[in-house]
Amino acid sequence: MADCARKGRTRDSMDKSITLPPDEIFRNLENAKRFAIDIGGSLTKLAYYSTVQHKVAKVRSFDHTAKDVSDLISVQEEITARLHFIKFENTYIETCLDFIKDHLVNTETKVIKATGGGAYKFKELIEKKLRLKVDKEDEMTCLIKGCNFVLRNIPHEAFVYAKHADSEFRFQNTHPDIFPYLLINIGSGVSIVKVESEDKFERIGGSSIGGGTFWGLGALLTKTKRFDELLQLASRGQHSSVDMLVKDIYGGAYSSLGLTGDLIASSFGKSATTDKEFSKEDMAKSLLHMISNDIGQLACLYARLHNLSRVYFGGFFIRGHPVTMHTITYSINFFTKGEVQALFLRHEGYLGAIGAFLKGAEEDNPNQYSWGENYAGSSGLMSVSPDLNPMQRARSGTFDMLEMDRLERQLVNLPLLQDPSSYVPDTVDLTEDALAREYWLSCFEDALDGVVKRAVASQPDLPQAAERAEKFRQKYLHKLQTLRHQPFAYGSLTVRSLLDTREHCLNEFNFPDPYSKVKQKENDVALKYFQKVVMSLEKLSWEQRQFALVKGLLAGNVFDWGAKRPWLVDCYNEWLERLKGPPHKCALFFVDNSGIDIILGVFPFVRELLCRGTEVVLASNSGPALNDVTNSELQILTERIAAMDSVIQTALKEDKLTLVQSGSSSPCLDLSRLDKALATVVLERHTDLVVIEGMGRAIHTNYYAMLNCESLKLAVIKNSWLAERLGGKIFSVVFKYEVPFKSQELKQ
Amino acid sequence: MADCARKGRTRDSMDKSITLPPDEIFRNLENAKRFAIDIGGSLTKLAYYSTVQHKVAKVRSFDHTAKETEGDPLYEISVQEEITARLHFIKFENTYIETCLDFIKDHLVNTETKVIKATGGGAYKFKELIEKKLRLKVDKEDEMTCLIKGCNFVLRNIPHEAFVYAKHADSEFRFQNTHPDIFPYLLINIGSGVSIVKVESEDKFERIGGSSIGGGTFWGLGALLTKTKRFDELLQLASRGQHSSVDMLVKDIYGGAYSSLGLTGDLIASSFGKSATTDKEFSKEDMAKSLLHMISNDIGQLACLYARLHNLSRVYFGGFFIRGHPVTMHTITYSINFFTKGEVQALFLRHEGYLGAIGAFLKGAEEDNPNQYSWGENYAGSSGLMSVSPDLNPMQRARSGTFDMLEMDRLERQLVNLPLLQDPSSYVPDTVDLTEDALAREYWLSCFEDALDGVVKRAVASQPDLPQAAERAEKFRQKYLHKLQTLRHQPL
Repeated sequence: MADCARKGRTRDSMDKSITLPPDEIFRNLENAKRFAIDIGGSLTKLAYYSTVQHKVAKVRSFDHTAKDVSDLISVQEEITARLHFIKFENTYIETCLDFIKDHLVNTETKVIKATGGGAYKFKELIEKKLRLKVDKEDEMTCLIKGCNFVLRNIPHEAFVYAKHADSEFRFQNTHPDIFPYLLINIGSGVSIVKVESEDKFERIGGSSIGGGTFWGLGALLTKTKRFDELLQLASRGQHSSVDMLVKDIYGGAYSSLGLTGDLIASSFGKSATTDKEFSKEDMAKSLLHMISNDIGQLACLYARLHNLSRVYFGGFFIRGHPVTMHTITYSINFFTKGEVQALFLRHEGYLGAIGAFLKGAEEDNPNQYSWGENYAGSSGLMSVSPDLNPMQRARSGTFDMLEMDRLERQLVNLPLLQDPSSYVPDTVDLTEDALAREYWLSCFEDALDGVVKRAVASQPDLPQAAERAEKFRQKYLHKLQTLRHQPFAYGSLTVRSLLDTREHCLNEFNFPDPYSKVKQKENDVALKYFQKVVMSLEKLSWEQRQFALVKGLLAGNVFDWGAKRPWLVDCYNEWLERLKGPPHKCALFFVDNSGIDIILGVFPFVRELLCRGTEVVLASNSGPALNDVTNSELQILTERIAAMDSVIQTALKEDKLTLVQSGSSSPCLDLSRLDKALATVVLERHTDLVVIEGMGRAIHTNYYAMLNCESLKLAVIKNSWLAERLGGKIFSVVFKYEVPFKSQELKQ
Repeated sequence: MADCARKGRTRDSMDKSITLPPDEIFRNLENAKRFAIDIGGSLTKLAYYSTVQHKVAKVRSFDHTAKETEGDPLYEISVQEEITARLHFIKFENTYIETCLDFIKDHLVNTETKVIKATGGGAYKFKELIEKKLRLKVDKEDEMTCLIKGCNFVLRNIPHEAFVYAKHADSEFRFQNTHPDIFPYLLINIGSGVSIVKVESEDKFERIGGSSIGGGTFWGLGALLTKTKRFDELLQLASRGQHSSVDMLVKDIYGGAYSSLGLTGDLIASSFGKSATTDKEFSKEDMAKSLLHMISNDIGQLACLYARLHNLSRVYFGGFFIRGHPVTMHTITYSINFFTKGEVQALFLRHEGYLGAIGAFLKGAEEDNPNQYSWGENYAGSSGLMSVSPDLNPMQRARSGTFDMLEMDRLERQLVNLPLLQDPSSYVPDTVDLTEDALAREYWLSCFEDALDGVVKRAVASQPDLPQAAERAEKFRQKYLHKLQTLRHQPL
């Protein structure tokens, strides 16, 4: 079915122009079952819930007596829930409604939730076209519901804007507790809303001096009727020719009152007494400053009065306009002396639509699930900085999309994180590091041909594999190009986000697991050596064995093993000392690759831990990513090993060895978004050791993660550029054993 | 000496036109010994300290041992000259500054005066002119300090200085009693921009906030929108306009009230919101009104937030945006009521325009300890608050060329509350407030008018031996009659 929807495609690129056929935009309409619409003054935001049928690679265990390898993997159809959000100009509303009507198959849908000022105006049109009852929802309630949803579910949703910084956008970590916060919605007017919990909010203030005032007064003063043009005028103007500054009155600063000379004493003050003509640009700039400063001061006062430090700004005045984000940020900094940061939201324009959708979907309990942004289907944040990208100012005719996948399981923080609110998974923020960004973007671009080949090879029997792989190539290449120009499109650009985007794009074109066959083969080979390896380890002395086990873990990462100690990061001696002490209660092990790594590296190490009396929880990916071992693969492998090894068998039987899924389908690891079941197990077993292995999980991410128990982070750096950055050479070894300060103290 | 100053009079009425000879205005200049000047964007306020020599009736007891003949009075009455201190404040348009300085120079006798305290934005601009003309050193004083000092002074010394403005009430102005303790309070000075100052004691104040959206914004944006360059005309336009044709109201968006948020349908959702999407032409009046509401509401909200943040309930408004303009006093009052739900009242000051000059004067007179004395407003020498309500008195809108005066006498003794008063802050000496009781007002005004002839006769009869008694009594009659007439039109 999902494939049917895609048949109509005539172009592959994700060009957002109106000439794009609507079925490229209104995806998965056939299965859509809930609709919500938010009609603003100029933009319509449509939301619907749909299901996506896509192929997943399933692994199935053999009957142990059989010996046929190729039957191990099958590609199956799986259905997952997805939220679609599309934003377009009101002009296209009729065309869009027609398209939706023609493609709407699901007859269960009876109502469409509607919000926004325009909901009233277009009610009849919608009811006539779609034959759905329009059910109006309170605008502010929708806005707040939507805001809570994105803050909770989209990492890097909120950002700080810094015009002159290396990276314009500084994304914020998702706070475990999003409440309380202040939302300043700058539409025609300004609403200042205090949000205390999911259901409790209050409009504590507001102002009539808002976006409508900028637009209205601007139109009267400059005869320019378009909002965007007014902003453009403003960005070129000099406010000081219209405004009366402190120095215009006092000849300089008014020091005893702490007023600098450049401070605006009176907006438009010069036009009161001067007869000269003012330029449109200067008047627009003065107006922009006047309004932004006023809102900034009000926001600051309400924040102080209600003791709130998180202040989010939204509404059409802000929406993606660097000019207004800059003036608001400046004003907030000025009035709060830096104590409060102005925060903006990547999906701010969708809040009302998301909220209206959630209101209508309450029986499905969307808030019970975790959702993830689908990078393949979402347009991402556009840089609309007029200087950076003048073409993008002309936003008319563009369709903007956001797609969110419902994740199988609810995601939570790893309970062992020392400070969840300051945890940043990624080691390098590529949005802020231009050199690193350029390197990695080129790196992923260069690797693309290999990935495409691998994808084609993975589906020799499936139709159009080559064709789909080519589509994947173009889409990912386009994403990389977008990211080169707008590194902030999906939040902070990181190696993780580049890897995740690639996975999303592969899935998009039904390459759920290009490495499945490779993994299968490697696992099969490695299994044959397992017993031999265990036997040779048993022959070693205790100390020799400990070192061999660590080498095994690292060797799985690289075949070209030859690094001499001391390693680039070498805490092996401390680790050995620790092993001479009492056993750990429970170790949580985030595993990495299939094949030699998991079977000949991880399992012998785990076996030793089990023998010491330590319980082990093996956490593997829920979904496929590169050649990482997935949870379903690991279950089969564990069964096979247990059949050969009594230690593993006993541990499984006695529940001392547990397999859990991480909730992730990424080669990297975000410890703030882990499967809830994993978190529960970790707490129940009193986990006191966390092992993270591999470049993706221990270097690209979590290298600096602070845990409140002992941890091992180990990897071989298989990238010379990164190795150099860390002060080493390619194939340098990182063996990081960390003990939190607290338990160090206890030991003494 | 005081009489000398009055010799030049050619007319008796207190007409404030520029044609009035300056010696009618700059009274007692000969004895003036301290000068202060506050030059604002358009108005100059001059302050000086002088002494007034005037006649007082003294009574003296007879020697009790002497046996006087039957019918002799118990005590003797004599008219003596007495010198009292008086503060003079004069306000005039900056245009007349040169003429005024010339006049002062010509009449300044006291050579002890070496400096003139100056404040206000214009002090810098006119420094050279003043120093050249008066041969006095211009000593600049901090503007805000002067403003606050002046404010403290009038609040402490002038009864009924502060008032609440109520456009639709029987009496537009509701005067407040002088509070024994005037601190703390918030002063919102709306000049070109807005300064929000928290005053905690005589010497402690802090500018806690401000805004660039002030009188200059109304004036500047108003001039751009309506091509009307005069501030007063803009206010007049505004008072005739309909803001709802330019502003987007809540009901324009939601078809009515937005009840769940507690927003009424008539609330302004977006100032000038309608001009964003409509192509129609808007009238000057409507745009000026919308602008006035926008600015007043904004200042009102800021004032209310700062008052709440600093826990202050007394909020005084001043600055040229407010100064005697019922239109702005009304919109500010409305806005404060809206935002504080009536918890805070917007208070205005009768002598708000003089605060800077009073403060600058006080700075220069600190050695005379003016704050040690009590001062009383001299009703004869002061112009009083003008009603500038355009409907009531359209003529007075044309304020150019008017001189406004305030004179304050230093009282012999410091005045305080009777310690036995149950509640000094709510004590009102007067039994009937004639500003609020129109019938009573009419009766008493006529009553005093009718009695005037008798008073004049009595005055003449009291000074059979003194010169020009009849002439002076006639001047008295005319002046008092004029005051009564003024009070009939402007009971406040």
